[in-house]
Amino acid sequence: MTSTLKGITLKGSAELVAEFFSFGINSILYQRGIYPPETFTRVTHYDMSLQVTTEPKLNNYLTNVVSQLKEWLFECSVQKLVLVITCLETNEVLERWQFDIECDKSAKESSAPREKSIKTIQDEIRSVIRQITATVTFLPLLETQCEFPSVCQLFCSGVPLTSLLFFAGSFDLLVYTDKDLVVPEKWEESGPQIIDQSEEVRLRSFTTSIHKVSSMVAYKRTDSA
Amino acid sequence: MAEGGDVEWELSKENIQPLRRGRDISALHQALSQQQDGPTSAINQQRQAFESELRMYDGDDPLGVWDRYIKWTEQTFPQGGKESNLTTLLEQVVTKFADDKKYNNDPRYVDLWIKFAENCPEPLDIYRYMQAQGIGVMQASLYIAWSEEYEKQGNHRKADLVYKEGFSRSAEPHDKLLQFHRALQARVSRQVMMTVHDDSSDDEPQQPERVSLADLKHRGKKKAVAPVNRTGPAIKSISGGLQSRGAPVLGNASNSRLVIFDENKNQSAGSSGPAPDPWAAPPTSRAKENEQKAERWCDVKIPQKTKFGHTVMAPPPPKPTFQPFVEESTQPPIMTPCKINPAVNTVLSARKPTKEETPLKRLQDHHQLQREAEVGKVQEQSMYCKELLLRGATEFCFEELRAERYFLKMGQHSQSSKPETDQPSV
Repeated sequence: MTSTLKGITLKGSAELVAEFFSFGINSILYQRGIYPPETFTRVTHYDMSLQVTTEPKLNNYLTNVVSQLKEWLFECSVQKLVLVITCLETNEVLERWQFDIECDKSAKESSAPREKSIKTIQDEIRSVIRQITATVTFLPLLETQCEFPSVCQLFCSGVPLTSLLFFAGSFDLLVYTDKDLVVPEKWEESGPQIIDQSEEVRLRSFTTSIHKVSSMVAYKRTDSA
Repeated sequence: MAEGGDVEWELSKENIQPLRRGRDISALHQALSQQQDGPTSAINQQRQAFESELRMYDGDDPLGVWDRYIKWTEQTFPQGGKESNLTTLLEQVVTKFADDKKYNNDPRYVDLWIKFAENCPEPLDIYRYMQAQGIGVMQASLYIAWSEEYEKQGNHRKADLVYKEGFSRSAEPHDKLLQFHRALQARVSRQVMMTVHDDSSDDEPQQPERVSLADLKHRGKKKAVAPVNRTGPAIKSISGGLQSRGAPVLGNASNSRLVIFDENKNQSAGSSGPAPDPWAAPPTSRAKENEQKAERWCDVKIPQKTKFGHTVMAPPPPKPTFQPFVEESTQPPIMTPCKINPAVNTVLSARKPTKEETPLKRLQDHHQLQREAEVGKVQEQSMYCKELLLRGATEFCFEELRAERYFLKMGQHSQSSKPETDQPSV
């Protein structure tokens, strides 16, 4: 992780955000029970204990996605990252975690680093992850389980893309990018996977002063308790 | 700090009980904001509306009213607790429709039973009772909840048997039963593999759990320390992802050098498998270890004063075998006036042996009464609409009932265009 004591550069910001996604996605997979809790191990980061997966295929898959994301963040060409949880049996979308990314396009590779302490950013990230954990108070219990990681889908303002490294599973990662992006070879188009009749809750956001990430969770509205 | 939109739920997150089917976020916000203002009239009005509807409803589906009321209660009172009257309502609805055959396999009714069971001290008894009475035996949800209860108690074999029973009865929806059964098998096989693989599961640092009480200091030479960590059923969590290893922890409680009396142990030695037993007798009351059986009081006499001049306020315990030390004092013991007339023995009467009251017991008593009423053995009969007044969580008085009828009638009159003769009637 870049720790230029002088401030945040574009590259540093991209790394911070990508790192957040890596831990954030792991946390969500653990909290929502997509993968069995025994397949996770505890690590310490952002001054808190987090769960990351030990399942090698999933780990591999997430690493690939995150590094690709880092590139796009650097190019400021990604707009959203969405984690979609579907029910294996009925194929309906149960939950949708959406992370909107706002990139300050004026920050280029050569521009001066911005003033923001890494500690502040980490504090903000910590609040977001804590809030994700707290959503258990109102999110419905997910009965769906997963054995392997699944497709990673890419969204190009209307042209969704899917990754080709693919197993049967119940969660998907979608990325919305700029229209003129060249689709990388491991990705494919996909649909938006919107939940019909959803409840939406806005969560906290954090900013590195170059990238701003806001989070939101949508879940299927239940007519019964 | 970054803003986070509506964060009231996060600030009160410890006061919100998670629901299995999730919560409606707008209802949650409304409930939380109104709680800060104290019990405002909006919630009370809604509740009053439900209570009236319970009494005035005249249609085909009375269960529907109860169902909506209970769901509203769950969403509006995120803390649960006494204020919500949830347990009262559940008990009432369950008792009321217990004999109504048409609701026996209504999924709403079965779900209400399951919620009721979860609120009871011994859910397994409730599930067995349901099976014996034929309630919900065609619904997958019963078997799923039953099996989860067994799993929580660490009894995987029975948990599996329950599913088999469900399949043999062709419970619906079949796919759901299949899905949950597979999930159970996956969990069980993983646990088996885990215990086979790493015997060093104790070395793995346990998640820092919240310790609720201070560590008890040991006294004397024995260094046994009672653990304050949660074990077994207390670790149950609703979110599947956080289902920490409930069953193995039971075995790994390395601190418990004390054998803790388990009043529920004698229950598991009961019926073999979920075969329907005829319910001749109610389930055995819990064996509490610190309850003395009531004994005859014929041999204990109450003296007016003991020789030390103390006024007798209660029947004394049996005399100790040693001679208590008496100080040599020049003053005679002070005679305090005795206000108790020994002939009147009503200050403290002997404690009547209380029957162990559980909701299930009350349900069965009710059932008993109903059966007797049918046979014609009933002792007393109330000549007013007692049931109507007592329905629901709160009690209505006659005037309220009359008012409801009046409002209903007024509503109907205003809708009809023809003028009708207004007869004053109740």
